[in-house]
Amino acid sequence: MENRSKTDGFKLGRFWSTLITLCIIYLIIKWVIPFVSRWLTGLPFPLPVPGTLALFYIMLTIIALYVYISFSEERLEEFLTPIRRLLLGMYGSRTRTVVLAIIPLLFGWQIYSATVPKVSSPTSLRIQHPSSNFPKDMEALKNPLINPGDAEVDKFIEEVKGNNVQFIPEAMGEVEKVKGKYENILGFIPTESMQAFLKDMKTGNVSRDKARQALREKYLFEGKILYAMNCRPCHGDSTGGDGPMADGFRLRPINFTENGTIETIVEGYTFWRVSTGGRGLPQEATPWDSAMPVWKADIPEEYRWRIIMAEYELAQKTPRQPEKLAEGEGKK
Amino acid sequence: MIKRFSVSLFFLFTLSCLLLTHVHAADVPAGKKLAKTPEAIEKGRVIYYKRCSFCHGLQGDGDGPVAYQLIPRPRDFTKGLYKFRSTGSGELPTDEDLFRVISRGLPGTAMQTFDSDKIKSGLTEEERWQVIYFIKTFSKDFDDPEFNPYKAVVNVSSEIKSSQAGIEKGKKIFQEMKCWECHGDGGRGNGPNSPRLKDKFRGDPILPFDLTKGWRYKGGNTTRDIYLRFNTGINGTPMPSFTDSLKDEERWDLANYVVSLQKREVNNNPVLSAKFVSGELPTDPDNTLWGSATSIDVLLAGQVIARPRWENPSVDLVTVKALYNAKEIVFLMEWGDRFKDTVHNPEKEYKVSDVYKGYVSWEDIPRDIGNFRDSIALQFPTAIPAGTKKPHFFRGESGNTVNLWVWKSDLEESGQPPVEEVNASSPGQPLKIQPPEGQQVKGKGVWKDGVWKVVIKRPLLTEDKNDIQFEKGKFIPLALNVWDGSNGEHNLLMSLSSWHYVILETTVPMSVYLYTFLGIAGLGLGEFWLVRRVRRSG
Ligand code: HEC
Ligand code: HEC
Ligand code: HEC
Repeated sequence: MENRSKTDGFKLGRFWSTLITLCIIYLIIKWVIPFVSRWLTGLPFPLPVPGTLALFYIMLTIIALYVYISFSEERLEEFLTPIRRLLLGMYGSRTRTVVLAIIPLLFGWQIYSATVPKVSSPTSLRIQHPSSNFPKDMEALKNPLINPGDAEVDKFIEEVKGNNVQFIPEAMGEVEKVKGKYENILGFIPTESMQAFLKDMKTGNVSRDKARQALREKYLFEGKILYAMNCRPCHGDSTGGDGPMADGFRLRPINFTENGTIETIVEGYTFWRVSTGGRGLPQEATPWDSAMPVWKADIPEEYRWRIIMAEYELAQKTPRQPEKLAEGEGKK
Repeated sequence: MIKRFSVSLFFLFTLSCLLLTHVHAADVPAGKKLAKTPEAIEKGRVIYYKRCSFCHGLQGDGDGPVAYQLIPRPRDFTKGLYKFRSTGSGELPTDEDLFRVISRGLPGTAMQTFDSDKIKSGLTEEERWQVIYFIKTFSKDFDDPEFNPYKAVVNVSSEIKSSQAGIEKGKKIFQEMKCWECHGDGGRGNGPNSPRLKDKFRGDPILPFDLTKGWRYKGGNTTRDIYLRFNTGINGTPMPSFTDSLKDEERWDLANYVVSLQKREVNNNPVLSAKFVSGELPTDPDNTLWGSATSIDVLLAGQVIARPRWENPSVDLVTVKALYNAKEIVFLMEWGDRFKDTVHNPEKEYKVSDVYKGYVSWEDIPRDIGNFRDSIALQFPTAIPAGTKKPHFFRGESGNTVNLWVWKSDLEESGQPPVEEVNASSPGQPLKIQPPEGQQVKGKGVWKDGVWKVVIKRPLLTEDKNDIQFEKGKFIPLALNVWDGSNGEHNLLMSLSSWHYVILETTVPMSVYLYTFLGIAGLGLGEFWLVRRVRRSG
């Protein structure tokens, strides 16, 4: 007996502990599960528990609690005592009136908000990387500029020797301006690989590997110009999806630095997206909301590849490698 | 004891977290300034080449391959003229000033933030210092001890907090100092001198800032930032310094007044709800009925989706309201536009070339007053979409067309019906004007002190199958196209928005009240019964 009254100070009554258990379960369903789901799925939004399922969980909990309480006479008695006391006005008649008034009002509010017509923005789920109309033969497409063939590299070395390297017209204005300032026209590119290559060129013994890297640097220079002219207004200088035009588009230009964007798709897919734009998307990707332009009519193919090279470099990402289909089939 | 200790520890922890995030979000360096060494400059050269040269030019002359399409143009670093400084008028910036600009960017221009805390592939603090040391090599002035900016840092007194009296004083100073000659009476950037201003970099046209656009301040929108502008002026622009003509306290008052002009909260809600009005709908923008309507702020971007691409739009925000009654619906659009342009010369329109050469240069289109009209268009799908499928927000596509109501200031000015009802099935095709019997939209536009207010009204339902029909309780997609004539805008050179929605608010049906009442009454009775039972038994 003594023991009991001692713990009474700390122990919540059966009634309150039951109520609190219910509240905790509710909170878990409402907040914790969506939060964990977000963490588990890596999606940018939480997945709420669907209404009927939530109701089902709550009902289950109530039944379980009921079974538990009514299992022994003593427990039930303990549970019911505060309720009975309240109804008898033993906590004061004002408390009783307030509690008895609040419960139906809360219930009414629930009914009202469940039945009143609502204005909330219609959300449509959107798939960012749909595959339904992506041409399968583009899956294995490779950026031809990343690994230029030997013939192309040799041609480039000859051009560098003759100091008549060709640039895309968009770059010419700049190149003309710095032409006289460097021994070789490519001297304005201050990156390590380019400078090492030019040094070797001077001594006369140059490896194809170094030349290939230098050629890549040249393509990257052109690609960044084309990116800055065409894509930057939406996707931003640093590819953060924050260009000066970005705020005007509800479906924002993609932030390429984020995980799950251009690193999860193969280059062929990126090429397809850049070529066919928002309008080329299938239904499940809500093409009507996408501001992404259709570039195939405006930018020639080899320029699009330069841009894609620049895009991945600026975002510090690499594309996903296509699965080796041929190999897989060979094993079969 | 332990409890109290842990509580204070917790508070300390939260406090330091708050302070930390504050420091991070700011544009002052969190770490130590990098030493200026030849290696740092060389590293800066590579960063500059990789990240800045496309705009600012390999030579730092502000004329990189992208420069032609931008206004304001990228800074010419060879001139040693910098706009946003903490130093006196005409002086060079400190390294920290440059750090601030590069970290936060200049809103409303192509110069973006390069802060790697904000954008993963931005520049780290170290990299920002390196590139700063490099861009300073473009101008000899930085080597001249006589021009040492650190000796020219302006005095900043302690801030005078905003008060009604201070703002009143500031307002008076705004009049007396003739700020309005450039910035206009309401601060909309539409003063009498504003059309003629040129900058000192290339003599390019420059417009006085629209002080109401709180989100576009280049040098920051706080009282302190603006006070600092008065102390420093903006080098290379007509915006002077006011250290000599205004007392310190007056500069704070003026800054507080300028802050009071700012629109700071943008309600970027995608859904506009049209309120029901039982009587006549307003036909003019200043009708008091508009006070009861809810509004949304629609953000717009330059039309950069299809040729001709235009990244220097003038209108970036339109506030929209809507009301309806049993027969009609009416929209009110309100947006800042410095000049009232009411003529249109079709022969001056921009001809799109067959070969794509990039975006349109602002120098290739006439941008003085008197060439093109101001205009706005509301766009809807031709029919309310059945599922989620909609026409493309940029003028739809064939088989899924859009219906536009185009209000034109030149028609309004010459007394003709100002709104044309048109249809479009792709951005590439010219708009199809509906036949005269299909024209049922009425409108009225009023321009005052740098603001257009345009009202457009139509019957809810029409007989025309090329018209959108308004049904209660449905989400009806809505988008905007806006043209500012004196910014050279016409045809596809314009601002546009993506899809928003308008919904005609339905009145709450009686059944809802009935269910609610029944619920409350039922439960109340139940309780009554319970109390009686308990009493009897207990
Ligand atoms: C008018 C603004 C705009 C411009 C200009 C623009 N984009 Fe986009 N882009 C978008 C928007 C909005 C999306 C997101 C919707 C979508 O996927 O279609 C997007 C998506 C993409 C994606 C898909 C990424 C992914 O992970 O699914 C790629 C790749 C892309 N853009 C590349 C480019 C390139 C390259 C350019 C320049 C040649 C460019 N964009 C120019 C607006 C733009
Ligand atoms: C997309 C084009 C673009 C790129 C890329 C760019 N800038 Fe700018 N920058 C501009 C423009 C445009 C302005 C002028 C804005 C104005 O005058 O209001 C500017 C202005 C500046 C200014 C002058 C600020 C002042 O107070 O006058 C500095 C400094 C600057 N940029 C540094 C850089 C650095 C460093 C980089 C590279 C890390 C860079 N910019 C990249 C477009 C660009
Ligand atoms: C001769 C014309 C002229 C006068 C007079 C003038 N301004 Fe300006 N002001 C300008 C111009 C032009 C700019 C825009 C500079 C730019 O965009 O780089 C500007 C910009 C500003 C800015 C914005 C800075 C930012 O962060 O973007 C503020 C604030 C400002 N002015 C306040 C004032 C006040 C207050 C007065 C009167 C005391 C005043 N101006 C007088 C021409 C003027």
